[in-house]
Amino acid sequence: MTNLSPADLAGYLRQLGEGALITLELFLTSFALAFTLGVAIGVATLSRNRIIRAAWRVYASIFMGVPSLLVIFLIFYGGSAMLGAVLGEFGSRIDISPFGAGVAALGIVYAAYIAELVRGAIENLPRGQFEGARALAIPPLIMWGRVILPQVMRLALPGLVNVWSFMLKETPLVSLAGLQDLVAAAKIAAGATKEPFVFFIATALVFIAFSAASLWVANRLEARLDRGQRRAPRSPSRAEA
Amino acid sequence: MSPRTLPADLAAVPAIHLAGVVKRYGTHRALAGVDLDVRRGERVVICGPSGSGKSTLIRCINALERHDGGRIVVNGVELTGDEGTVQDIRQEVGMVFQHFNLFPHLTALENCMLAPRLNRGLSKAQAVKLAMAHLERVHLADQARKYPARLSGGQQQRVAIARALCMEPRILLFDEPTSALDPEMVKEVLGVMEELAASGVTMVCVTHEMGFARRVADRCVFMDRGEIVEEGDAARFFEAPESERLRHFLAQILR
Amino acid sequence: MSALPIDVALAWESLPALFAGLRVTVFLTVLPLMIGLMLAFPICFARMSPRRVLSLPAEIFVVFFRGAPLLILLYLVYYGLGQIEALREGPFWVLFGSPFGCAIVALSLNHAAYMVEVLRGSLLAVPHGLVEASEALGITRRNIFLWVRMPLALRYGLKAYQNEVVSFVKGTAIVSVVTITDLMAVANAIFEQTYDPFTPILCAATFYWAFVNVLRIGFQFWGRWLNRHSAEDAVAAPAGRTVTP
Repeated sequence: MTNLSPADLAGYLRQLGEGALITLELFLTSFALAFTLGVAIGVATLSRNRIIRAAWRVYASIFMGVPSLLVIFLIFYGGSAMLGAVLGEFGSRIDISPFGAGVAALGIVYAAYIAELVRGAIENLPRGQFEGARALAIPPLIMWGRVILPQVMRLALPGLVNVWSFMLKETPLVSLAGLQDLVAAAKIAAGATKEPFVFFIATALVFIAFSAASLWVANRLEARLDRGQRRAPRSPSRAEA
Repeated sequence: MSPRTLPADLAAVPAIHLAGVVKRYGTHRALAGVDLDVRRGERVVICGPSGSGKSTLIRCINALERHDGGRIVVNGVELTGDEGTVQDIRQEVGMVFQHFNLFPHLTALENCMLAPRLNRGLSKAQAVKLAMAHLERVHLADQARKYPARLSGGQQQRVAIARALCMEPRILLFDEPTSALDPEMVKEVLGVMEELAASGVTMVCVTHEMGFARRVADRCVFMDRGEIVEEGDAARFFEAPESERLRHFLAQILR
Repeated sequence: MSALPIDVALAWESLPALFAGLRVTVFLTVLPLMIGLMLAFPICFARMSPRRVLSLPAEIFVVFFRGAPLLILLYLVYYGLGQIEALREGPFWVLFGSPFGCAIVALSLNHAAYMVEVLRGSLLAVPHGLVEASEALGITRRNIFLWVRMPLALRYGLKAYQNEVVSFVKGTAIVSVVTITDLMAVANAIFEQTYDPFTPILCAATFYWAFVNVLRIGFQFWGRWLNRHSAEDAVAAPAGRTVTP
């Protein structure tokens, strides 16, 4: 069936490998951005301020209500103009790369989901955690950094894992804006070799394998965090004995 | 109305006949060879410490648990692995659970109507009539249109009893029907059960309500570690327990 | 909002094309949602079967079609299946030979895989005691499924179903890669004619947003109707009324 020479095959494999690295880079950068933004937005929008809350609702509703692909195109095509509006002459000269557009779009979209998770987790935290920290006169920054957020992350972990694997499956969309990622490389190889079946299946399996591996890590992490929590109530009695 | 496998002369056979019934969970023997006969119309109370196998025993009678050894004969029909037999026996045996297990998406009335409509193909009007009659019997006709979540625990358990009655079973099994109830609601449920007992239906009841046992039971059975340790009529059972284990058990719950 | 560089005249002119695109998007949502759901039931039963011969293939199906990005699935069906000679000669080529057929196949399989997990989770959430109570009443397994497990599973799983439907709608935006002119493709085409980077995409965004929110509101009503039995709603409503001044 196949009439690929070994040299050709090696060439395509190298391209696929390079594409995979770009996909991975895109994914990790976007997730880092989404996570940072999401946590910041999640904490900020707990404020009682009406305007902040309204702004959060609008933001969440928009970016959870439109396709990521559309956001990617919007930023890719319109990003320079938008930067120009914000930064003036200097901004409009910045060219938006597919990679940059992808990171910005996925970051902004998934920050909304992560912010919602973080908000939910903070609201589920027992009131006593805040009161306890205040009673001990712990400064706010340390309270959030050392007391609240670690517990929030534990509560939000299953949701974060969901966002992680869902976002991974949306990274190929950036190839439609011209990014030479794994999927683009697979498409080229598939077209040139007339072996689309093999290349696309292989690509799909790479995503599945990566997803499975990260899920495994997440489960281990969750188990470890749980262990810490379950052991806690027993320690005082041991101290007494 | 009677299922196809029922013998013609019901009066001649015991309602329930258990011989050497064994049930295992892994290596643990929940039932270690139980023999018990329940006559037609008899009211039997089973008690015993938790983990003694009393719930497992009555759950075996309507095949919610499958026994691993011995014989279970209900209304003269032996319980085997056969699905048809199981269905037939379940039509004849009603069960009331500790946690009511009412269908939350159906009203009290609809809870009672479901099985008669599905199993016996009653029309809606017939099923409503039947269900209302039995809700009346448990004094809940006025609550018929409410969903379970809006009823108190005692009311829910009475609906559950009405639901079981709607299949017009010859035998009723009760699995700790009052132990999930707040104390003030126990009485209303026991009251309904006493009225039922007076109607002549065969009852097997796992309960720790010793007052109920004294007033209603023809016979009391004490189980421990998967076997029947002692049985006898209610008066002798409480006044003159023979075994040390029963004396110990009674001392604990009657304290 | 005036800061947004929207060309109102262009937006107005584009409306007919955008509505045509929306129609395609709705079609490519509704049909795969139905096919996917129909596929999900048997696969879910297989997945929950204690027999490994049934559950293993179902599990592989779910892992593959849920784990693979939709774009790759679409490429796989569109470009990959044409490679198989038997398929090209066979009667199903009507389906796999057209972009619409391919999109529907890929979307349906993807949705089915997600729905297997939604269904399974919802069915497992039904308390075992309710199934036992039904069994004790002598109700057959088929009727228990139809009248007890499924109605309750629907209530437990509605939120997850809503989330899947919403993200599915958004997922359909990729079908333009196989030359289907859905809402996204219409916006892209207008962009390529006018080089206006905002108007067509923001218009399409509005359409998507409206579609998603119509679905969301629909689900909300459905959920409220299904949960009319829960005590919180029923009791809280009159109590709330008395509290408000």
